[in-house]
Amino acid sequence: MIELNNATKIYRSLFGHSVRAVEEFSLQVAEGEVLGIAGPNGAGKSTLLSLLLGYLRPTSGRVLIRGLEPRSFVEKNGIGYLSELMTIKPNWKAEEALIRFATLAAIPPADVSSRVNAVIDELGIGEHRDKKIKAMSKGNLQRLGVAQALLRDEQVLILDEPTHGLDPVWTQRFRGIVEGLRRPGRTIIIASHNLDELQRLADRVAIIDHGRLQRLVQTGYDQATDTGGTYRISVVAGAQHVKEMFPAAVDNGEGEFELTFPSIIELNAAIGRLIGGGVLVAGVVPARSVLEQQFREAVGDKS
Amino acid sequence: MKENLTRYAYWQFRDFLRERAIALLLVGLLLGFMMIAPVRAMMGPNIDAVAARRIVIMVLPQIVFIAAFIVFNGIISTDRKMGYYRFLFSKPVGIPAYYAQHFVVYFVGFVAVFAVLLGVFSVAVVPFNPIWTLAYCALVYLSLGGIAFFISSLFRYDWAILAAVYLGSALANAVWADRTGWRMVIRDMLPPMHKLSPAMNDLINFGTLDMRAVAWLLGYSALFFVAGMVVLWRRPIG
Repeated sequence: MIELNNATKIYRSLFGHSVRAVEEFSLQVAEGEVLGIAGPNGAGKSTLLSLLLGYLRPTSGRVLIRGLEPRSFVEKNGIGYLSELMTIKPNWKAEEALIRFATLAAIPPADVSSRVNAVIDELGIGEHRDKKIKAMSKGNLQRLGVAQALLRDEQVLILDEPTHGLDPVWTQRFRGIVEGLRRPGRTIIIASHNLDELQRLADRVAIIDHGRLQRLVQTGYDQATDTGGTYRISVVAGAQHVKEMFPAAVDNGEGEFELTFPSIIELNAAIGRLIGGGVLVAGVVPARSVLEQQFREAVGDKS
Repeated sequence: MKENLTRYAYWQFRDFLRERAIALLLVGLLLGFMMIAPVRAMMGPNIDAVAARRIVIMVLPQIVFIAAFIVFNGIISTDRKMGYYRFLFSKPVGIPAYYAQHFVVYFVGFVAVFAVLLGVFSVAVVPFNPIWTLAYCALVYLSLGGIAFFISSLFRYDWAILAAVYLGSALANAVWADRTGWRMVIRDMLPPMHKLSPAMNDLINFGTLDMRAVAWLLGYSALFFVAGMVVLWRRPIG
């Protein structure tokens, strides 16, 4: 569906200075897949998305969407795109902006009003529809940006930092919206700094740094690739037995311990031993998600 | 032209009204008043048709030129500079077609604004047939528009470059009018703005045009307009 084949983008200044923003990036994204893109600031995420939208052309290599150059694909089909920067003319009103984008998105005139109302309702911006862009708060603008990306039933959605500026309630609702957008034949790409969000929404996450694809992480549980991890175990009784049974456990105090296991099966076995040994376990959470762990290994502590 | 883009012309015209028309009307009225008021003071209230033509010939070129400059400023570059292209061109729209339509819509708006200004002139100064004058306004837009379109497709800060090109053309034609050799080559490569004044005299006084001059003006502009379209087609907008 989407294919990046050794895609490289080099920015060159007039004075001969060059920056390799994306370098030999190869990746295939399938139809029906939700791909996350994570990376520290300046890693090349925005350039990568610009390549996918045809706003930039690769210096070398190839980018194809359903066999077409990105610009040709966009001009023929359109892409549901949310830019990280909410660049909409400040003197437009919210509803006006949506009507304009719906018109450009080739929604039939008879359907424009109903589609605009539908996305306004879905994103809860009804009370702001007559507000000018310059008068809207960051969170409401972000919701407007998501709304315009959802105007049409697009085959490809590219969402750049979609929950940036949203409050916790809308962040949660947005996750529900994206879950609802999943369908066979649609590809969704989400670039975000929020690893927890990508862990929940994406099937795979491409970790990018220095313009290169560093790792491609499968987010769901896969027994074949289960390498375990570090977990925080909270106990409310029998804390003294934890150290006896697991001398390597790190005592964080107040009944919390950190233990590292080579697999989830080992983790479950350990919890069984603790419970059997009279320890009352109150909670088990990963100290770091698999994705966070992979991210740290790939890019260090830069983010 | 795709149907969705054709429908979007309505919104482009609204943009013209909001962002350009008011400025054009104000500048037109201000300059017109500043230039016509002293003439009226000298000639008294009874201005005949001949005097009215003289006034128009004296005042109009400056207003039309400044108005054209206001309209062309940032016609493409603003969307790149401000990032507005990001949402616009994720929709199924061809970038060259979008800006070609933008140019045509602004042309219609430009002529409409001058129809209003000439209407005000007819009411406030003397009744005046605006047809040839409007034809001159259209000619100025179309003659200067191509190079403006091209420059705006290439540069983010197009107004300064456009002003320099117009100034260079005016200077070259004033200083090197009779020169040959490389000076002539440079002079002829710059926009043929010097051909606009004779065109206005011909149009307003006689209702005719030197078709060779018009062909040169429009041909030169069309060439750069096409070059601008090629830039939009070939050069990524991001």
